[in-house]
Amino acid sequence: MRSLRRYWRVYSAFAANAVKLMMAYSVWFWVELLGQIFMLIIFVYFWKAVYANTETVSGMRAAETLNYILIAQIVAPLVRWSLILDIGGAIRQGTVAIEFTRPVDFQARWYVEWTSQMLFQAIRLALPLGAVAMICFGLRLPADPAVWGYFIVSFLLGNAVLFCFDWAFACLAFYTTEAWGLHILREGVAAFFSGALLPLQMLPGWLQKGAAFLPFGQALNAPVSILTGITPVSQAPAVIGTQLIWLVGLFLFSRFFFGVASRKVTVQGG
Amino acid sequence: MPIIEVDDLSKVFRLNQKEPGLRGAFKALFKPNYTDKVAVDHLSFSVDPGEIVGYIGVNGAGKSTTIKMLTGILAPSGGAVRVLGRDPHSQRVANARDIGVVFGQRTQLWWDLALIESLNLIAKIYEVEPARYKQLLDQFSETLELDELLKVPVRQMSLGQKMRAELAATLIHEPKVVYLDEPTIGLDVMVKERIREFIKQQNREKQTTVILTTHDLGDIEELCQRVIIIDAGKVIYDGPISTIKDRFGKYRTITFETGSASTAGLALPDGTELVANEPRKLVVRFDRTRTTASQVAGALMEQADVVDFSLAEPDLESIIKQIYSGALREEVAV
Ligand SMILES: Nc1ncnc2c1ncn2[C@@H]1O[C@H](COP(=O)(O)OP(=O)(O)OP(=O)(O)O)[C@@H](O)[C@H]1O
Ligand SMILES: [Mg+2]
Repeated sequence: MRSLRRYWRVYSAFAANAVKLMMAYSVWFWVELLGQIFMLIIFVYFWKAVYANTETVSGMRAAETLNYILIAQIVAPLVRWSLILDIGGAIRQGTVAIEFTRPVDFQARWYVEWTSQMLFQAIRLALPLGAVAMICFGLRLPADPAVWGYFIVSFLLGNAVLFCFDWAFACLAFYTTEAWGLHILREGVAAFFSGALLPLQMLPGWLQKGAAFLPFGQALNAPVSILTGITPVSQAPAVIGTQLIWLVGLFLFSRFFFGVASRKVTVQGG
Repeated sequence: MPIIEVDDLSKVFRLNQKEPGLRGAFKALFKPNYTDKVAVDHLSFSVDPGEIVGYIGVNGAGKSTTIKMLTGILAPSGGAVRVLGRDPHSQRVANARDIGVVFGQRTQLWWDLALIESLNLIAKIYEVEPARYKQLLDQFSETLELDELLKVPVRQMSLGQKMRAELAATLIHEPKVVYLDEPTIGLDVMVKERIREFIKQQNREKQTTVILTTHDLGDIEELCQRVIIIDAGKVIYDGPISTIKDRFGKYRTITFETGSASTAGLALPDGTELVANEPRKLVVRFDRTRTTASQVAGALMEQADVVDFSLAEPDLESIIKQIYSGALREEVAV
């Protein structure tokens, strides 16, 4: 018990600090908000154009797809896409040396910082975006609290999955000290297979199967499908079960790989 | 019972020669082209609690690499390190609680946060008791003159201000062992003096063990009783400063102030040479193995109208220069 309280004290300090740091760059927030609203508009008009001459696309109707896209675009900025770049950069510039002199678990610390920033973004960015989407584009949200509950759990789990995946991937930077290439490689694949651009349910069957082998959909497509009702409530527990399996597997792998890789670590510079 | 034990420690960096670009990165990943670089080469030494050890050597000698292994940042390629009975790499977190590190060229403070916020956070991470933290903060603010700096973010600090802040951050959890890798790099005399005072005080009051690397021998003279000199990753000297001074401080100088301007045609004892001969001032350098200070002074006082004279301490800088340029290696060979 005592040690749990200790962990809480230490890691909540990191969490508070991470949010504080985010606020230090508050100028960028307005730029980001405007950028996201702009994206929302583009996506809505793109999909309206797609549905102009057809009733359904891959069995999904316009209203359903639009609602999915709106929510996906609101939630997507909360997902962290740049972990590889951040960790890789820390390794490259040697700041990882300082991090290693602190009496905290490296991975836990990054996770806590990232999650607290995400929750902060949810309030600061997702709420206003949601309001815009509701007023201008007729966003519909479910009333059932169970759906919301499943959505939140699924979102947190899915992002923990992505965190572990990125963590393991970023460990390659210990070997190549070349994070930028890794980041580019992952970026394109992730953007498409996360379901930020279109519902993964729209993909042809073989591609859907492929997507199921990648972790990116867990972070966005899985929770957003729950919230929009594409995944019925009755199937939500199964989705969450799948995410748990992903999480356990990737968590163990990322711990193991980090342990191996950090023994190889070459810290750059004086 | 030593607090730090280094036994046959080595570090070999395996460099993967990489061609530029994404293709190069892939090639390096799957078809690596390795070369080995020995940075630390079978080092052994131990340090007792409360010692301040100067760890010196030329650029690239392997000082920082050793420090990184002592702090647990790097895993050794061979040999073993024990700090407070632990292996710093495999017991990294436990070890980190008891040590403090300053890397002169990096910062452990949060770039965009005011210093006080960084310190508050560090105190929480290291679980410093709030009352104790307040007490230390007051004390450090005074010795390091941090008062006006507490509200300033690190990115706005000058080098000297930053280094004072770093030291406070490093010692706020009262670590038992402190590693200082070039803590006075680029600082002015006043700040250097302040920092040295602070280190001395911490060592005196808390028996903090300090390992210090520096290129400023003033730091060494002021702080250390013992130095370890390394070259190409190997220990070439480990012992008190006074011993090196005796062994290598072969030459000493005496400065004479003379009453009359003319000092032409002086006869000097064997092993003595005139370094400077200015109006009213004579500087003489002599070999301690061949003559003594009193002989030289006596001879000159007989021949010139000496008003005052002073004997300079053997100068560490010129001694270290001799050692770096190979004096010890030659001695070992002989
Ligand atoms: N990450 C690394 N990868 C490859 N070689 C390295 C690495 N770090 C250090 N080296 C090499 O190891 C040797 C020792 O470096 P180190 O940084 O320990 O020297 P140092 O004694 O601290 O020098 P300085 O006085 O310049 O700080 C150098 O030749 C350096 O090039
Ligand atoms: Mg160095």
